[in-house]
Amino acid sequence: MKRSLRRQAGEAGLTITSMMDMMTIILVFLLKSYSTEDISVAPNDDLQIPMSTAQKLPKLAVNVVVSRKEILVDAVPVLRLERVADPETGAETVQVPDDMKTGQLIDKLYDRLLEKAETAKELGSRASGDQMDFKGQVLLQCDKRLPFSIVREVMYTAGQAQFGEFRFVVIKGGEG
Amino acid sequence: MSKKRNEEAEELNLVPIMNLVTILIPFLLMAAQFISLAVIDSTLPAIWPPQPTQQDDTDKPLNLSVLITDQGFTIAGAQAVLPNEGGDSGPTVPCLESGCPTPDSYNTKELTRLLGLVKDQYPDDQNVILVPESRIQYAVLVKTMDATRESPTTGVGDKPRELFPYVVIAGGVK
Repeated sequence: MKRSLRRQAGEAGLTITSMMDMMTIILVFLLKSYSTEDISVAPNDDLQIPMSTAQKLPKLAVNVVVSRKEILVDAVPVLRLERVADPETGAETVQVPDDMKTGQLIDKLYDRLLEKAETAKELGSRASGDQMDFKGQVLLQCDKRLPFSIVREVMYTAGQAQFGEFRFVVIKGGEG
Repeated sequence: MSKKRNEEAEELNLVPIMNLVTILIPFLLMAAQFISLAVIDSTLPAIWPPQPTQQDDTDKPLNLSVLITDQGFTIAGAQAVLPNEGGDSGPTVPCLESGCPTPDSYNTKELTRLLGLVKDQYPDDQNVILVPESRIQYAVLVKTMDATRESPTTGVGDKPRELFPYVVIAGGVK
């Protein structure tokens, strides 16, 4: 009994043809979805990018991420946001801590963006051609549940730091 | 005859290809993007000089603005505010549910329809100013930008009709 089993196994060998078929299909699928886009998002619980019908492709620019937890500039955390209850409705909302801003201006974000603007300008002046010129573009990735007051403060701060062209990053694909 | 037997005896050695594919798959899985991104352009009012795309050819600029409140949308121009169907002082396009609890309760379809009528009157105008309230969720803002940019139902062929693609977001009302 034992002997016959062993002999059978030896004769059959490993059939990898079907596995190869599967692998080839996966490979083709992955190659198709392979993309080298200029920006990448890492959606998580605190950063849900809204969907939109917009079709315009994103271009490289300074990346400002506003999640429900914190604000990041080019993947470096700048400041944490605090969660408070809305004084009128009682619902939970997010806001920039009062001691972090002067009026509408978010101080830390302003300093960081000004630094970015200076660096970009210097790059632009050294490079030949106008490809690297500072155009004041900023990519904004915001969580869809954020109140407009935060978006406005971020936009105002960016505007003060010479970033005047906003590109709101959205997920392509219908309404919602 | 002998050649045929030779072919039968030699099996194709797939192991190196398997190795290659097994390495390629994790690599491509990491680099794959399953969501495609897009951007919506907007410029700052006042602080930034006017963009060349935002010129007004008409003598009377329309200055179309859409106020977003927790009651709905109010469409206003330089001359007047568009009243709602009831004729009272409420928003031009009230929410489907009172108080607009979710972004979906905003009636963006009606907004698009009305803006289409505005576009008929001012075919050269391309700008719209959005004035959201402080508490309005960002998702509503994006939905409104979608609704003001193009009208998917009244286009020529598959292409949606362009309404007001240049969005300016104003400071908003408290």
